[in-house]
Amino acid sequence: MIIAAWICLVAPLAAALLITLLGTGISRRAAAYVATTSVLGAFAAALVVFAKLWGESPSTRSHPSTAWEWLTAGSFHVGLRILVDPLSVFMMLVVSGVGFLIVAYSIGYMDGDDEERRYFAYMALFVFSMLLLVQAGNLVILLAGWGLVGLSSYLLIGFWHDRPSAIAAAKKAFVMNAIGDATMALAFFLLIQHRQTLNFPDAFAVGPGHGWLVNLVALGLLGGAVAKSAQLPLQTWLPDAMEGPTPVSALIHAATMVTAGVYLIVRTHAVFEQAPRVQELAAGLGAGTLLMAGLIALVQTDIKRVIAYSTMSQIGYMFLGAGMGAYANAEFHLMTHAFFKALLFMAAGLVIHALAGEQDIRKMGGVGRLMPVTRLAFLIGSLALVGVPPFSGFFSKDSIIAAAMSRGWYGYILFAAALVGTFLTGLYAFRLFLIVFPGEPSPFVREHLMRGSHAAGMEGAHGADASAPHDHEVHAHAGEGPFSMTAPVLVLAVLAVIGGWIQFAPLWHPVSDWLEPVARPLAEPTSTQEALASLFAFLLSLAGIGVAWLIYGAGRWRVPKYAFAQRVLEHKFYFDEAYDLAFYRPAVALAKAFGRWIEGPIIGGSIKELAAAVREAGLGTGRLQTGLVRTYALAIAASVAVITIVFVAVR
Amino acid sequence: MGWLTTALILLPLGGALLVWIFPWDAFTAGSIALLVALGEVGVWIEALVRFHFDRGGLQLTQRTNWFSDLHVSYHVGMYGFSLWLVGLTVVVQAAAIAYAFWAGRTGARAYFGLMLLLTAAIVGVFTAQDLLLFYVFWEAMLLPLYILIGVWGGAGRLGATIKFVIYTMAGSLLMLAAVIVLGLSQGTFDLTATWQSSSDWLFLGFVAAFAVKAPLFPLHAWLPDAYRESPPEVSAVLSGVVSKAAIYGFIRIAITKFPEPTKDFRTVILVLAAVGLVYGSLLAFRAPDVRGVIAYSSLAQLGLITFGVFSVNDLGLNGAVLQMINHGLITASLFLLAGGIERRAATGEFARLGGFARGRPILATVLMTTGIIGLAVPGSSAFAGEFEILAGVFTRGWGYSVVGAVAIVLAAMYMLRLISAVLHREPGPAVTPAALDLRPAELGAIVPLLACLLALSVWPAAITERSFAHDHARTDVNTQFEAAK
Repeated sequence: MIIAAWICLVAPLAAALLITLLGTGISRRAAAYVATTSVLGAFAAALVVFAKLWGESPSTRSHPSTAWEWLTAGSFHVGLRILVDPLSVFMMLVVSGVGFLIVAYSIGYMDGDDEERRYFAYMALFVFSMLLLVQAGNLVILLAGWGLVGLSSYLLIGFWHDRPSAIAAAKKAFVMNAIGDATMALAFFLLIQHRQTLNFPDAFAVGPGHGWLVNLVALGLLGGAVAKSAQLPLQTWLPDAMEGPTPVSALIHAATMVTAGVYLIVRTHAVFEQAPRVQELAAGLGAGTLLMAGLIALVQTDIKRVIAYSTMSQIGYMFLGAGMGAYANAEFHLMTHAFFKALLFMAAGLVIHALAGEQDIRKMGGVGRLMPVTRLAFLIGSLALVGVPPFSGFFSKDSIIAAAMSRGWYGYILFAAALVGTFLTGLYAFRLFLIVFPGEPSPFVREHLMRGSHAAGMEGAHGADASAPHDHEVHAHAGEGPFSMTAPVLVLAVLAVIGGWIQFAPLWHPVSDWLEPVARPLAEPTSTQEALASLFAFLLSLAGIGVAWLIYGAGRWRVPKYAFAQRVLEHKFYFDEAYDLAFYRPAVALAKAFGRWIEGPIIGGSIKELAAAVREAGLGTGRLQTGLVRTYALAIAASVAVITIVFVAVR
Repeated sequence: MGWLTTALILLPLGGALLVWIFPWDAFTAGSIALLVALGEVGVWIEALVRFHFDRGGLQLTQRTNWFSDLHVSYHVGMYGFSLWLVGLTVVVQAAAIAYAFWAGRTGARAYFGLMLLLTAAIVGVFTAQDLLLFYVFWEAMLLPLYILIGVWGGAGRLGATIKFVIYTMAGSLLMLAAVIVLGLSQGTFDLTATWQSSSDWLFLGFVAAFAVKAPLFPLHAWLPDAYRESPPEVSAVLSGVVSKAAIYGFIRIAITKFPEPTKDFRTVILVLAAVGLVYGSLLAFRAPDVRGVIAYSSLAQLGLITFGVFSVNDLGLNGAVLQMINHGLITASLFLLAGGIERRAATGEFARLGGFARGRPILATVLMTTGIIGLAVPGSSAFAGEFEILAGVFTRGWGYSVVGAVAIVLAAMYMLRLISAVLHREPGPAVTPAALDLRPAELGAIVPLLACLLALSVWPAAITERSFAHDHARTDVNTQFEAAK
């Protein structure tokens, strides 16, 4: 079992290294298949681990394994250690399973891009990093996976590196994640000082009497979590990250990486439970994010950005759940979200692919008639996202909302926020669907889809080589895209429907039972609360869909225009501007001031006069810098002589 | 087995004489130098194999009386951490000589002879166990550098050399005074003897020389010019290896021989290191050219390493040694890459660069990998080193670690800026399609450094487990650390 876990971890890394080292010695297709096979292998290994773990009694399902000592200092030891337990296996399955579908989808999506090899090496590197994150058996290895995930995200967002916007977005994502890394590292330093170990779960037993300590540690961990998961206040990088290829958005910025913060809270819940105020803060940030992102999603005009904000909003639900102590519910929603959000992104990718890279929904309309399969997939994804029974989101989201109900007055505030969120979800999800799919094809859509051909990988073609020939990439088929792209979409569509059926909170709950040995829930909603939450959530999401239909479907309602609100939402509540003003500009100003007032006049000036004087003397006396070797040999000899004289003198 | 240490010093010295004395042509001189440098790596590997890490303490020693009435001796040997620093020296020197051989330098005999002399001197600094011998090697290290910068440097080499000379001469004179007074007052110059001093003035004399050479803020006025004007491989050696000699001095002399002054001045030094860390990072972020970023990031990194050293605890010292190796390899690779970029574009200014990645995948991969490790992405050996350093300095005050954490974010900003400005966006005005990808010879110089970094990322404990003996009581240097903790 341990061997299988290591294989699961190493297979994608091996693929990434192989593709990188072979360079042009491997064909583009082969690189794609190597990467896909390695992720499939990881999934198979994860299944083996799961089956073996399933056969054990719940109390013994925890197997650490150390490969070698990774970092030491005196009595401080950090091993390259993985931990196989129900939580890590759960995440391994989600990451490698959904990852496989998305990498396979990329084969068709990236077909013809002239840097396909680099793309697949990065994708494999990402899957490795994410598996390292979820399999890590101590905090340092977790942070290593955490950072490498951020690195692969940076590489993939900036994949089309000719575009300044992509590079800017990639740098922004990396730097904001580095802020999270830094706060986590500080938390670890505190733990090292007090616990001398960072292994799970020993590191978390801080013990009573260290109130401020656990609070600080929990805050540091929360900093990392909000950065990685794009929650308030470090959320601004995620929408920009949509500059990357669409499968990247599906894999990294929807299905796996951004949910790492949720995983972190669940994994370190022992710390958060000793710092209940910080845990409540996590839930509150989640609630705030889900509302804010839901509102911003209402005014976005880029198909991927709408889905990106929807991702932020859904992760807000997961934070809310994890912050309320409903760990299994948060993880369950993480899984169903991976299915339906990956589905939405990949269906959107089919549309973008068919429309030669166009992402502006104002140019779309009537796409559904020409792409019926995509329309069906997108509809299923939207229904699952909104949480309409029997689609998967219904089961997972409602159990989080119910959990909030069981946690006192603070819980009720969050409960209200979550319900408003469901209304917003219905509204923005179906605004998007109704604008893009039904009705008569718009002229733009007609132009691209009626011709029966399109250029693949054109999303990236906005860059320098837009004029490069793409003749070999023109496909003979109309509309939907190649089988390698539609097949994964259909698999995910099925999962988005039935994926939620494995748990229906009060009646059967295998996910909660599976995770219980790792993270015992704090919140146990009653059946009445479950039913009430489901009822409210269902009605409000239907209301959201209804309003969307009235505005965008039937056109009976005009959208009321509040210029101020519109502007605030379009500027995403001015977070970018505020951070620019509060952090970036002062840092730049400080750097400039250092350069102008300290480095030049004080540091440099301190010896400028002296240097000039020496230079004058040097030029005047003997033209030392002759460039002749003899001169320098003489200089060396003279110096040696001086030193010898010194020795003799001392003697 | 002390002959191994002596061989490490004599082999490049002999190589230098060989290159100087006979009238070789440029190609032969370069070949000899490269062979000697590679042979030096071989000797080091032999030393690595023979070294008993489990035993700890000073090993591979050789001792011969020199001025017996003054108790001055030729006494060389290596501790675990010295062995790693010598390894860094021989590997980076080999890469630098290989790069220079490929790039071609006028006056090849003089040039390669000086590079070999420099190698011998740096190895001597890391292995000398006698104060006076240490000083001789220290000066022998600076002299070839003056000439290498002054003769083979860029357009502004004269000013750069003068600044460098003034600063380091001033530091060296203070050190010489301190060495003489200390040796005479202790009755021996031998570093392995158990004496310790409590004199603040002598301590400051050593610290001044080391702080100038590292450099520590605010003694870095020579740094930007020297790093910009030197030939790239000399910059690589200067920032990769020679700066480590200064940190080695902190560890081997300042802390072990002056425990009381170390405690007294620790806060001052840590604060200066903190200022240098932030200051260097910010200036690196605004620097207009490739070498400027590397130069100021070196200032920042040296501040960070100083954090580790003056934590004077297991985490800090081990992290500092690991990070010295990391930084040496990273900054050497970056300077060699900078040289490659400047050869192709005839400039290092960001405003005229860009778009190198398209069509040059090897250059892009190598620069990206080096830069990413350089910004200490979690999981890399640089991360391992910085993590230990900041965990170590945390016990001296959480504020230092917070400053370090801020600097990590700044490092991400300046390093990504460097990477993007060179590789990404549309090709800049100085970047023509004719600019080739990295040539095999350049790869031959840079890839070994990068391979070492990747290997250390897989197993950073290779160094941290083998720098200081585990059992503290048994070795002299560890005992002396105890007094400074």
